[in-house]
Amino acid sequence: MELIDPWLDSVEVRRLAELLMKPSRHPAAVLSEAGFEAGFLGYTTGPAVAVESQTVTPAAVQEKVTQAADSASAAEKVTQADPEPLPSTARGSFLDIIHHFRDWMREHFSAKEMFILDRQGEVIFDESHHGRLHFLARSLALAPRRAGSFAGYVHIKIRAGATLEVIPVETPNGYLILGAVVPVALSPAAMSAVMEAMILVAGAQTAPRAPDQAV
Amino acid sequence: MINIAVSSQKGGVGKTTVSINLAHAFARAGVRTLLVDADPQGSVGLSLTRQSRLLAGFYDFLKDPSTPLERLIVPTRLETFALVASGQASDYEASGGIGAHLSRVRDFLHGVAGRGYDLCILDTAAGLFGVTGDVVSSSDAIMILQQAEPLGIRSVPKLLEGLNRMRVMNPRLSILGVCLTMVQHDLIESTEAAAALRQLLPPEMVFQTQIPRNSLFVRASARGLPIGAMEEGAAVQAVFDRLRVEIEDKLQPGDARRVQPV
Repeated sequence: MELIDPWLDSVEVRRLAELLMKPSRHPAAVLSEAGFEAGFLGYTTGPAVAVESQTVTPAAVQEKVTQAADSASAAEKVTQADPEPLPSTARGSFLDIIHHFRDWMREHFSAKEMFILDRQGEVIFDESHHGRLHFLARSLALAPRRAGSFAGYVHIKIRAGATLEVIPVETPNGYLILGAVVPVALSPAAMSAVMEAMILVAGAQTAPRAPDQAV
Repeated sequence: MINIAVSSQKGGVGKTTVSINLAHAFARAGVRTLLVDADPQGSVGLSLTRQSRLLAGFYDFLKDPSTPLERLIVPTRLETFALVASGQASDYEASGGIGAHLSRVRDFLHGVAGRGYDLCILDTAAGLFGVTGDVVSSSDAIMILQQAEPLGIRSVPKLLEGLNRMRVMNPRLSILGVCLTMVQHDLIESTEAAAALRQLLPPEMVFQTQIPRNSLFVRASARGLPIGAMEEGAAVQAVFDRLRVEIEDKLQPGDARRVQPV
């Protein structure tokens, strides 16, 4: 084991391997039972984008946003390969900020049916109203992996012209799973921008609750 | 019919060699076997047929599912052994981008099953994404090849993560296990790597049979033959016969899909 121990965590590897040799824990995820049937065309996975809270802090993203705002007068057409960062002007309740993020996703990526789940798979935000999409996103994002490793994003082509993007993001306020249906799978650059935006959203300071909203 | 995907995390581990010779071993045992080249590089066709550059194949079906399977299936001199080449549209995935071929892969396998084969072995491209992901998501079982060398062993965690994700997409996927390839008994790094993998993974996850590095593979490939068809190939063919028996044992005895000879 001297050959490999310095390179990998043998206990973790063993755990992952033993999970694989057991019957699947996801019997309900059979695609024909997952609501897609003939409309489900396929999927592909992408590498994890190197965006982690340790390396890309909200402050760093904020700086990028400011730089982008400085040059925004050029009003260049935003392409998916070079998406404009999420502007940081949104203030208000957490829901307001999420709505701002949703609008940004719509504008730049024509995203629809967006939802956000937490580490336990609980719904934080949802405009898809599609529990099966949640289930699939949760199952993929929370599939067993090495402890401490970062789950990569997954593209799932759910029907012609519609790809569900499952984007796990480790934010300063915890692990979130973003799901969004887009017409064309996002490029790695776009993925990186979305993940940075999610970190910004999760780390945003919400406005104080108005007195009449206080419980 | 049972479908077995032959996959690996890394390229160049001997997938095509194992796929050809394992398929040949099953066919020799009387199992009606179809070997499908699902690797866009088209190595199966290049290894076994001089006309591979002209043959329509698996990727042509993905491009146009109305392509009759009879046009794709190439018989061999062994009655129980046929193959489907990669085809002329092998660059389809590269240009097509997203792996959006699941339904067509399943249509292909459904069509093949209707033609009386007991076993379909799919030689895939390295990695677990794109068309390979669709093939694995459509298969009953997967056999993973791992070269007996240190770098390959270090990629095992990534492989396991990929497989766990595959099982979300395809819960019925049976993990037959990892088969060590290119084992060099005269090279300590190779034998140590093999031993380390066996120590690392549960015993039932690693095939007892391991494939040696052997110059006969090169000679067989040069002649366009499976190793079992070579006059001097009996000893190496015996390795693939042992691998065949191990696979049969791993398939559940009561399973209706168990590979049965004709």
